[in-house]
Amino acid sequence: MAKEQLDLVSVRVKLFASSRERIGKDEIILSLANQTTVGDLKKKIMELYPALSSTKIPFMIAVNHKVADDATTISHLDEVALLPPVSGG
Amino acid sequence: MITITRDPIDLCKILVDAKDRSAGGTTLFIGSVRDHNDKGTVSEIYYEAYKEMAEDMLAKIESEVRKRWNIKKFVAIHRIGDLKVGDISVAVAVSAEHRQEAFEACKYGIDEIKTRVPIWKKEVSESGVTWVEGISPKSE
Repeated sequence: MAKEQLDLVSVRVKLFASSRERIGKDEIILSLANQTTVGDLKKKIMELYPALSSTKIPFMIAVNHKVADDATTISHLDEVALLPPVSGG
Repeated sequence: MITITRDPIDLCKILVDAKDRSAGGTTLFIGSVRDHNDKGTVSEIYYEAYKEMAEDMLAKIESEVRKRWNIKKFVAIHRIGDLKVGDISVAVAVSAEHRQEAFEACKYGIDEIKTRVPIWKKEVSESGVTWVEGISPKSE
């Protein structure tokens, strides 16, 4: 395995609305393997933050302002955000 | 014109921005804070946005509208912060040569805003203060 695949990177995840209030922060910083997928990030968030996983409310992950599917890979340069179900209007 | 703002929404300005000499029709949709939800009386709503992404999404919705309909101007504004009953939370205005395009494009605009743009509301009602968990936006 190449060295860069083993490196850990810090990823900032912006929080909004109900998720921000449940965790009590505007953002969280997670240490993840480089080239982690959105699916892995979701699993990690669910493990680390029972305040979110206990609600059973689904959330999506946005990468660089686009809602990303679970296969999308994340680097430390990406802008990542956790989006609860939206309710504008 | 696309904006997320904390300021009150000025409908006259929106109509001026939507005006176009080659348009024969302009539609305006206004969303405002309702005094009730299905659990009782609502006194106010707090709106929060992921502003940078919300503005990107509004621009994307405008470009989709322009691909589907031959319109002249597209204006979409969403307000955030603390709003009272009756306050305008969102407005979409579209001008086009003919009314059918203006109506359809305006409806598409507000429908997509409600399901895709990262904005959230917290209602203050008789039964307490609750975040409205609406729709999970799909990946693009």
